[in-house]
Amino acid sequence: MSNPIKLVVIGAGPGGYAAAFLAADMGMQVTLIDKEENPGGVCVYRGCIPSKALLHAAKVLNESQEAENIGITFSKPTVNLDKLRSWKNSVITRLTSGTGQLRKQRKIANIQGQAKFLNSSTIEVEKIDEKKELVTFDKVIIATGSRPATIPTLPKSKNILDSTSALDIESIPERLLVIGGGYIGLELSTVYDALGSKVTVVEMMPQLLTGADRDLANILIKRIESKFEKVMTSTKVLKVEEISSGLRVNFEDADGKKFTEEFGKILVSIGRKPNTENIGLENTKVKLTDRGFVKVNGQLKTDDENIYAIGDVAGNPMLAHKASHEGRIAVEAIAGHKVAFEPQAIPAVVFTDPEVAWCGLTELEAKEKGLEVTVVKFPWGASGRAITLERVDGLTKLIIDAKTERVLGMGIVGVGAGELISEGVLAVEMGAVVSDIKLSIHPHPTISETVMESAENFFGTATHFYRPKKT
Amino acid sequence: MLEIKLPELGENIAQGTVSKILVKAGDSVKKGQNILEIETDKAVLEVPSPQEGLVKEILIKSGQSVKVGQPIFTFDGKSSAAASSPASEPKITTPAQQPQVTKPQASISPVNPASTTGVITEMKLPGLGENITQGTVTKILVNKGDPIKKGQNILELETDKAVLEVPSSLDGVVEEILIKTGQAVKVGQSVFKIKGAGAATSFSPAAPQLVVQPTSAPATKSETKTSVSTNPAISAQTVSAEPAKNVSAAPSVRRFAREIGLDITSVTGTGPGGRISVEDVKAHAKRILTSGTVGAGVSVPSVPLPDFSKWGSIERQPMNNVRKKTAEHLSRAWQTIPHVTQFDKADITELEKLRKHLSTKENKMSITPFIIKVVAAALKNFPQFNASVDMTTNEIILKKYVNVGVAVNTDRGLLVPVLKNVDQLSIKKISDELTAIAERARNKKTTLDEMQGGSFTISNLGGIGGTCFTPIVNWPEVAILGISRGTMEPVYSDGHFVPRLMLPLSLSYDHRLIDGADGARFLRWICDEIQKPFSMDLEK
Repeated sequence: MSNPIKLVVIGAGPGGYAAAFLAADMGMQVTLIDKEENPGGVCVYRGCIPSKALLHAAKVLNESQEAENIGITFSKPTVNLDKLRSWKNSVITRLTSGTGQLRKQRKIANIQGQAKFLNSSTIEVEKIDEKKELVTFDKVIIATGSRPATIPTLPKSKNILDSTSALDIESIPERLLVIGGGYIGLELSTVYDALGSKVTVVEMMPQLLTGADRDLANILIKRIESKFEKVMTSTKVLKVEEISSGLRVNFEDADGKKFTEEFGKILVSIGRKPNTENIGLENTKVKLTDRGFVKVNGQLKTDDENIYAIGDVAGNPMLAHKASHEGRIAVEAIAGHKVAFEPQAIPAVVFTDPEVAWCGLTELEAKEKGLEVTVVKFPWGASGRAITLERVDGLTKLIIDAKTERVLGMGIVGVGAGELISEGVLAVEMGAVVSDIKLSIHPHPTISETVMESAENFFGTATHFYRPKKT
Repeated sequence: MLEIKLPELGENIAQGTVSKILVKAGDSVKKGQNILEIETDKAVLEVPSPQEGLVKEILIKSGQSVKVGQPIFTFDGKSSAAASSPASEPKITTPAQQPQVTKPQASISPVNPASTTGVITEMKLPGLGENITQGTVTKILVNKGDPIKKGQNILELETDKAVLEVPSSLDGVVEEILIKTGQAVKVGQSVFKIKGAGAATSFSPAAPQLVVQPTSAPATKSETKTSVSTNPAISAQTVSAEPAKNVSAAPSVRRFAREIGLDITSVTGTGPGGRISVEDVKAHAKRILTSGTVGAGVSVPSVPLPDFSKWGSIERQPMNNVRKKTAEHLSRAWQTIPHVTQFDKADITELEKLRKHLSTKENKMSITPFIIKVVAAALKNFPQFNASVDMTTNEIILKKYVNVGVAVNTDRGLLVPVLKNVDQLSIKKISDELTAIAERARNKKTTLDEMQGGSFTISNLGGIGGTCFTPIVNWPEVAILGISRGTMEPVYSDGHFVPRLMLPLSLSYDHRLIDGADGARFLRWICDEIQKPFSMDLEK
């Protein structure tokens, strides 16, 4: 007897395919609908993965030049864009053919096309061969993801890029303007900077990486400012016009001063919008939130009894790992398990150089909420490992509940911060107290020791950091 | 024929007392199968058979003291291997534990769905209801080799509150019974091996499965792919879908709490920084289970008992579940509630006439339904008697329903089934329901639902005798009425003594909520009402 549940998953991004795979593993009858041939979604085709491939190239380029400081001199590298692009594409193909294989092994039905709800129990799929197919279901998971937000007043121009077209690296402009100083803008800035563009970042808000603790962001910003051409905060883009040499941009800064500059290309990275349109949600009982996300409860169920939503379309943060976790929770909820999406810490990583990562409570949030916390830090200048890497531009911090000494959050900036943050996630999720970290032996010499030393700093006893006794 | 001798039991253990014989003559026994339970001064040990064979004769009896090397069984064996060689170390369990059978194999082995005929599937104990994680097997309703159908009752299980019948989740033939009567089994533990069940990889969407490892390790996991049981008693809808925020508990612990239907935020963590462990969750669940809600009981540290055997022979008997729960519950009630007991007497001379008038040969009415009806009316007039105290919020919870529990004496112990909404029932109907519910309690058929939701309790010992007693309030209720035996007494009236049938009543109440004057008034009101039975509304 196979499981009677007929599940349809719309969207095969990291959330959608994680959900479909688990459902199939649990014996449900699963159909996956997506426009691409293989599972992967924006993450694998046009997001996380290709950007990390290019960031790896950027890292190689930067390190080859910085090696001069330690006595190794390379000649100025040349970049074969076509070869770099096809390598990046081979990474994508390798991953997506892998997920495609996993889907086949799990016997998940696959429909390539665009899905639209006709009512609360039927979906019409417009397939890529333009034929239409009706699909019925017991339960459905909407995992349609998000797309880059656009600025409607900008002219249509091939020189105005979004995160998707920027990853195609058609050409490297001499001057690139990046509108939006969030994590996508800064990651792609890092790529284009390494590939040879003079990068200008413009941000409306008074700081880059809004939401990240300032002490972490500042270490990144300091390096960015020395490498990029210019970083302009509290500055608005008033007008963009296409000229023969590229684009002319009118700005207005915080004092109301207006000025004009010219760029070869512009990258617009002002955020992402959930894909809730054109999928027939109006034909169901699904409701949206004020911010345009699909409204779901703790089990990811919408206001329509048989419809669930996960990932970017179901709310912030729009991160692949949050989507896949939600996908699995939704499937377990559909199977009747008593589960809820209740993480204590969703890690956020900015893959710039250096990387910035945090999880759980930030110092900013603690201040906003008026929570009594103790923040302990360990600067990487005192880390033997960081010095051997010639990268002491780093900081590790823990946000500790002042009363219970529980670890509520962790933040790191520095090379490899994205890999280090998992320890913080585990600590927060397990309800670790700061002594637990202090008393766990960390390997020497590694950057991970900075986590242990931060914890020791809570007691004022870090080996490699002297804190004068309070009298 | 082979003689099986008691093998070495461990360091310095030369003898023990047979506490249970796990096989009977004619049983076929496998090597390593537990055949005997021996209580030594250190622990209860399970003795495995050193040998495969057929039990021919049992040479010992329960309670008998046996020495290492003493013959205990004779077998009709196939092999002639030295019978006295111990096959394996006896497994040591602490005396508190129930005897355990050999731990079943981990889980269903992956099978090719095409060949279902010979497939053996382990059937696990399904979820039994909110907060119930285990029970004691009271009856196994099928035998090895029996064909069974999905939905057929296969097991009778006694939990803390009720006896439940467990239906099969599979079609097939019973290949092996992995449990035995008297054994404690946990939800998720394998109970049967079923042959020919083609549903090895199926799972039911309606059956949230909680698998608590049969060992005492705190490891838990949620079964996602191989659960094979359905359980109509449990509903996934009862748990809140909303995520718990900022809880100091590992994800596995949070999920465990959710699975047993417990709000993790209500659990107090005992770990560093208030971290909540699986044990904390279990302890909290147990507390709720034994009491209905969470209260502020103070436990008295236990003092070791003296060695009574110094003064004469003694016998130790295990408490059954009902006795254990009664002990826990009444200790809690006694420790939580400052008790006062008020006595009074009701003149039931007229009521007795009415009762006799209404009773028929087939349908004898007792006095209890009349008193239940009067109590229902009294609770409406004195709402503080139909209440609970919440000291954590300093609130009084007034109940707008009248559910009266009636203490029933059964051979398992004291049970208190609850009659719901008695204010809306006629005396006749109360009488019928009371008879039915008491009957079910005595036949172990009471459902969990019938045991919950009481707002006042009545205990009638009049059938046995006695003048007055001091009942213990059935916490979290705030009052209980005890009824003793009515006797003919001279009552001074209009200048001379007249014989009247007087019924002694004892009202115990929670003095935190109820003042002495109110207690006296409440009981007097009941007595007054009982004295004018013909104004009672019999039909409504």
